[in-house]
Amino acid sequence: MSSASSPVTAPASGRGYAPPGRLGRILSRNGPGYLFLLPWLIGFFGLTLGPALSSLYLSFTDYDLIQAPNWVGLANYVRIATADPKFNAAMHVTFLYVALSVPLKLMFALAVAMAFNRGIAGLPLYRAIFYLPSLLGSSVAIAVLWRQLFAADGLVNGMLAWFGFQGPSWISNPHYSLYTLVVLSVWQFGSPMIIFLAGLRQIPGDLYEAAEIDGASNWRKFWRITLPLLTPVIFFNFVVQTIDAFKAFTPAFIISEGTGGPINSTLFYTLYLYQEAFGFFRMGYASALAWILVIIISLFTAFAFLSSRYWVHYDE
Amino acid sequence: MNRPPIPRGPGAARHSIRRSAFIHAGLIVASFVMLYPLLWMLSGSLRPENEIFGGSSLIPSHISLDAFVRGWNGLQISFGTFFWNSLVISVLATIGNVFACSLTAYAFARLKFRGRNFWFALMLGTLMLPYHVTLIPQYILFLDMGWVNTILPLVVPKYLAVDAFFIFLMVQFFRGIPRELDEAAMMDGCSAWRIYRKIMLPLSLPVMATAAIFSFLWTWEDFFGPLIYLNDMKSYTVQIGLRTFVDSTGSSDWSSLFAMSILSLIPIFLLFLFFQRALIEGIATTGMKR
Amino acid sequence: MTDFKLSRRTVLGTSALFAAASALGGMPALAATRLRLLWWGSQERADRTNKTVEAYKKAAPDVSIDGEFLGWNDYWTRLATQVAGRNAPDLIQMDYRYVFEYARRGSLLALDDYLGKSLKIDDFGKDNIDSCRVDGKLYGVNLGVNSSAAFFDIGAWFDAGVPAPSHGMSWQQYFDNCVAFAKANKRKNFYASVDASGIEPSFELWLRQLGKSLYNDQGKLGYTAEDAAAWFQYWTDLRKAGGCVTADIQALDKLSIETSPLTTGYAATGFAHSNQFVGFQKLSKAKLGIAPYPVKPDGKPGHYMKPSMMMSISAATASPDAAVAFVNFMVESTDAAQELGVERGVPASAGMRDVVTPMLDEPGQMVVDYIGKLSDLAGPLPPAPPKGAGEIAFSLQRISQEVAFESSSPAEGGKQLVTEANSILERA
Repeated sequence: MSSASSPVTAPASGRGYAPPGRLGRILSRNGPGYLFLLPWLIGFFGLTLGPALSSLYLSFTDYDLIQAPNWVGLANYVRIATADPKFNAAMHVTFLYVALSVPLKLMFALAVAMAFNRGIAGLPLYRAIFYLPSLLGSSVAIAVLWRQLFAADGLVNGMLAWFGFQGPSWISNPHYSLYTLVVLSVWQFGSPMIIFLAGLRQIPGDLYEAAEIDGASNWRKFWRITLPLLTPVIFFNFVVQTIDAFKAFTPAFIISEGTGGPINSTLFYTLYLYQEAFGFFRMGYASALAWILVIIISLFTAFAFLSSRYWVHYDE
Repeated sequence: MNRPPIPRGPGAARHSIRRSAFIHAGLIVASFVMLYPLLWMLSGSLRPENEIFGGSSLIPSHISLDAFVRGWNGLQISFGTFFWNSLVISVLATIGNVFACSLTAYAFARLKFRGRNFWFALMLGTLMLPYHVTLIPQYILFLDMGWVNTILPLVVPKYLAVDAFFIFLMVQFFRGIPRELDEAAMMDGCSAWRIYRKIMLPLSLPVMATAAIFSFLWTWEDFFGPLIYLNDMKSYTVQIGLRTFVDSTGSSDWSSLFAMSILSLIPIFLLFLFFQRALIEGIATTGMKR
Repeated sequence: MTDFKLSRRTVLGTSALFAAASALGGMPALAATRLRLLWWGSQERADRTNKTVEAYKKAAPDVSIDGEFLGWNDYWTRLATQVAGRNAPDLIQMDYRYVFEYARRGSLLALDDYLGKSLKIDDFGKDNIDSCRVDGKLYGVNLGVNSSAAFFDIGAWFDAGVPAPSHGMSWQQYFDNCVAFAKANKRKNFYASVDASGIEPSFELWLRQLGKSLYNDQGKLGYTAEDAAAWFQYWTDLRKAGGCVTADIQALDKLSIETSPLTTGYAATGFAHSNQFVGFQKLSKAKLGIAPYPVKPDGKPGHYMKPSMMMSISAATASPDAAVAFVNFMVESTDAAQELGVERGVPASAGMRDVVTPMLDEPGQMVVDYIGKLSDLAGPLPPAPPKGAGEIAFSLQRISQEVAFESSSPAEGGKQLVTEANSILERA
């Protein structure tokens, strides 16, 4: 890694250089930590905090992007809570999407990573091919492709026809359209797969050797060694994928061309937020929506972190 | 998920060949499913414009490379410039991300200091805010700094570890590295910097490679940042170039779009092929032996 | 790397900034005034626009224009960001819907003071100037005249042995023809017509023929729940009779050329704006024809001429005079007309239309003919859409889908549309 060897200007002060006195003790205890944290702190205070706070402020205003914001107190939040059917629709779509896509994608990614973690000829090629869909990301071509696959006379129905089924137009039927986006998300399982793979490579091989000497079965090795040692990575993937799924925007934006249709069936939360902000010029309302999403995600993340004590294994 | 161990008894060889043929057959079928979109795009880039939206056949009626030529020079600035711009931004962003995020992650994973949990929670919090609402305040901030229409808003933040995803990723991996190693080094009087350089980084090569791949890919694919911050066509990235091809109210040149989409995948695909070796082999050469 | 430094900070042509910027990264030849021009569109439009900018350099060597262009969706995000950041481009290509949003919020320059002086567009005719007015003031210059139209696959209608849409055909005839088409048709998943129930311009035309409108001049709804129900009923009947595409095919239509059922081969007739005809023809294997909408036998004219797009000037521009001069060049000079053609629509200026017409290819010619022959079906401009109109168009599309997928009846759909539209108008 090029960065690992690149010269750095500020070496952290080691333990031996601590100045004497109380201040010195505080410095020597906290100094290295804050020194390492310095770039992030600068970034946080300089670039992140300001915009975040101003969006918090905007959430209490009526702001049309052009004229100065106008303080309205809690009005935006009250409307969201009491009089916004689209908010309810968006919550429904988003929660369903999170609940379906995250577990499926993670299981798929872990299974493929495990399969790839053993010797098969041509492995690098397979791995690269399996990563390709994730490379496509949110390319405009995906929209056209998805139509090609999931329309009434698309490829999927073509295949179903071999088995005598006449499938509906998956992508444009409000009952199924969300599921095509779940499939898209699962199909792009590349990034959690890579992270699982890196995690698997970090499990010390001698643990397996020792278990083999004890005559442990593969199944037992998976449950006793792989899974526990992989929990920090599983935890990471779980938290990050869930946050991402809550914030999912591009798939729906591209496939429904920003409408969230048919009949709001793909109206993801952030898509609704985007419509409000840039489509209908209600940045204040969109900011309130954003902060409600932050609260929902934080609750979820806090819960995940609290529960992690009971199932995530760290070496400490 | 887990297959039986490599059989050692007699007759196992034949069994093993059949099994591996079976695995390969499965993988090839799966590969086709994975590759279908790309093949479809490729065929779209080779066929006449008015055939793209008709049937779902992969084979064009006749093949022409026109779309690639047309696409490459299709905008007033050639795609070569866009590729170069994307490359510069992605490389700079990757270096910044890996470097700054690993410093931060090391502090969170291993160093003890007051307020650590507080800062960690705030760091995670930055993952959660949808970027659409911070876009405008951020734009105004960079505008005031005179950075709009330069690559600075796309690169400098990476050197300040603003991407919490990578910090969190590295923290999780650092926490998996055996504590005895750095505790022993600490006893020997090693500074935190030396432990970071000599123990943490070498031992976490796979995750560094992972972070490098992702930050390159995501910077390469990002279009919102360049869309907002780069006004001059000479500084457009590949993604903006691609999107400029598409217009829903006018006529669009789809085959050129597909041709250029395919070209835009080649660098990241090569990068992936290259880095996955670091990812896989890194661990073998450093040796995770206790 | 020098390319990426501050070389292109082209803010408002302030000379101090300009000097600083040019010192930082080799700027081309000195120009006293710099203007930023932003538009959406295809490469073809970009080529034509860039050539126009080149031509303008000869006319006004001391003005240099930096063009930027993007696709439709990206365009509005970037424009909103730049306007919110007080960094708007000087020259802004505007859409008929968004002009109300931007003008009413004070981000566009009113051009009335320049009319007849540096902006000499008298030969546009009153209607083509008024169609760019918001609340009585002129906020843009018409770049091309446009009207809604029906596009159809000539061969498919011919093969079916049924008359294709034509000038003066009634809604009932259209209905019967579509049903007859279905009987004669042998292609799978192929229908005579798109389902236009969710297409706002189509609904508007229907209402205008009834003597109603989407909005009245007080900015309230100009139609009743019964009107909307009748509209939904027409298309529900046609759908049930097999005369238009099914609900799930219509749901694929994102109101863009490449997603229209006419382009994707599900329908023989589609509805769009006349300037899109060239684009439709380019993506379609079949030879297309263009005709006005069906009519109500003793109804009022439904069509009207509106700008396909207009050129507006930012209220924050530092050089309004230079910007107006360029806009005038775009719409009233032979040089520009020759470069621009009818790519943005038929020129509003009678003089320029004469310059352009002989140079056109067949689809372009058909569009000019279409606009020329429309006068007996075209009425006055409708009242300006109020704030929230964009959101109501979304509602119409969604509710039309609910009716099409039979989760509500046409009557319920009509009621729901009116209720929703009213609550949106109240909020805006």
